[in-house]
Amino acid sequence: MARIIVVTSGKGGVGKTTSSAAIGIGLALKGHKVVLIDFDIGLRNLDLIMGCERRVVYDFVNVINGEATLNQALIKDKRVSSLSILPASQTRDKDALNKENVGKVLDDLAKRFDYIICDSPAGIEAGAMMALYYADEAIVTTNPEVSSVRDSDRILGMLASRSRRAELGLEPIKEHLLLTRYSPKRVEEGEMLSVEDVEDILAIPLLGVIPESQAVLKASNAGEPVILDTESDAGKAYQDVIDRLLGETVEFRFLVAEKKGILSRLFGG
Amino acid sequence: MAEASIEFKGSSFTLSVLHLKTSTLSDFRDDLKKKVAQAPDFFYLVPIVVDIERVDSSIDYQAVKLLVEEFKFTFVGFTGNVPKAQRKLIRALGFSFVNSANSAVSRTKKVQASTKAVKADEEIVAKVKQTQIIPQVSLFTDKIHRGQIRSGQQIYAKDQNLVIIGSVSAGAEVIADGNIHVYGSLRGRAIAGAKGHHQAQIYCQNLEAELVSINGNYWLSESMEQHWNSPAYIHLSDTELVSSKLI
Ligand SMILES: Nc1ncnc2c1ncn2[C@@H]1O[C@H](COP(=O)(O)OP(=O)(O)OP(=O)(O)O)[C@@H](O)[C@H]1O
Ligand SMILES: [Mg+2]
Repeated sequence: MARIIVVTSGKGGVGKTTSSAAIGIGLALKGHKVVLIDFDIGLRNLDLIMGCERRVVYDFVNVINGEATLNQALIKDKRVSSLSILPASQTRDKDALNKENVGKVLDDLAKRFDYIICDSPAGIEAGAMMALYYADEAIVTTNPEVSSVRDSDRILGMLASRSRRAELGLEPIKEHLLLTRYSPKRVEEGEMLSVEDVEDILAIPLLGVIPESQAVLKASNAGEPVILDTESDAGKAYQDVIDRLLGETVEFRFLVAEKKGILSRLFGG
Repeated sequence: MAEASIEFKGSSFTLSVLHLKTSTLSDFRDDLKKKVAQAPDFFYLVPIVVDIERVDSSIDYQAVKLLVEEFKFTFVGFTGNVPKAQRKLIRALGFSFVNSANSAVSRTKKVQASTKAVKADEEIVAKVKQTQIIPQVSLFTDKIHRGQIRSGQQIYAKDQNLVIIGSVSAGAEVIADGNIHVYGSLRGRAIAGAKGHHQAQIYCQNLEAELVSINGNYWLSESMEQHWNSPAYIHLSDTELVSSKLI
């Protein structure tokens, strides 16, 4: 059975697309068949982060409307052959998707892939609801600040009440907390919420903590998901996320501010 | 001063203990049914304690009690060597937790037993006194919600008390015509005695509420300084809200 995982947040700009890309490619590198779907209709972002924007011919909405087949629209990743991307349309409006047709496309994809990763748009309107409706699991992406935590809490309420699983009274969506843009230094200075604070408020299991990192911007600009930068702290943290998703117990890292030694201070580390 | 009309004393009784070995209540029911069928008169109105040591801590305690009562036992409470937090939860749900004299827990504490007994008496007396000062609302049944109430969600216990086993998030709202109990943090809004019930109260394990209201009298966060971030209960004295330390 394919696992349908939505990457969601409520608040915008917290790192959903960055995380979807990293997780998609990370799972594929482990040998799983993965498809990444961009639900952010009208914005098109995932293809840029994945570095396949120039290969988009057909998109998700074309498939929904029967204007293209899945085979025509799916873009195979050039780095990992078991990964495909179903891009969003830049030209259509947000209401182009409807539950029934999205369900059919997901059913088709479930026959071919092990993991279906849905990159949700921000907000709690129709687009975000569509992205989470069919999910089996949710990666609730949260920044360590009050408004982001509040929005994640809101989304958790939606997962529990507005999803297909909730409507049919099935086992609830499995919830994961992914803290992104975590800066231990700013936590220590009291400018940001700590991991414990966020866990206490949201009360769901912690999947990962991704540090605030220069490597992310570099990776996005290059169209190379940051998980491929195996030397970077963010890349390593996303790698840990993959291992945890696959059932391993991995210790959390990058939770405390690095004390810079005298040498690195002198030579700039 | 006239002599007190009541007196508390300790005494030991032998009670039957039913050891629960399955969390599947239908199995439990089947087995209990068979057992009782063998000697219905023997079990009729027999006081019974249910040992839950071997089952999952998330079992539905209320359902267990109802099942036992369905077969005409007189339900006394739960027992077993379980973690303190679980015992607390059971009590919080309104059931007695009975420590058996030969359970592992009480064995280690035997030496202190005699002093404990005296203390327990004092506690009971103290409780009785307390209930005289603050009348409890017991006319209402309970609506029990397990899990968090998230931002944007609202829950209303119509003509009932509301018991939440979990936290109430900022931006969430819980409303009851009776009392509100939050076994977790109260960070959102809590409105008790919504239809106009002066005696309604609000209890929580951690007070960080945006608003609390009883019978139309409300407080915003700034008025809760005294018990902020601690277990508290809030009630009305005349038309003034009062907060007190819970434990
Ligand atoms: N760990 C990180 N460290 C530094 N910058 C990050 C990190 N994660 C994400 N960012 C940056 O934050 C911005 C938003 O990221 P991203 O597009 O992934 O968020 P999003 O939640 O998908 O946004 P939207 O809601 O608009 O879809 C980007 O500029 C990205 O480079
Ligand atoms: Mg995005």
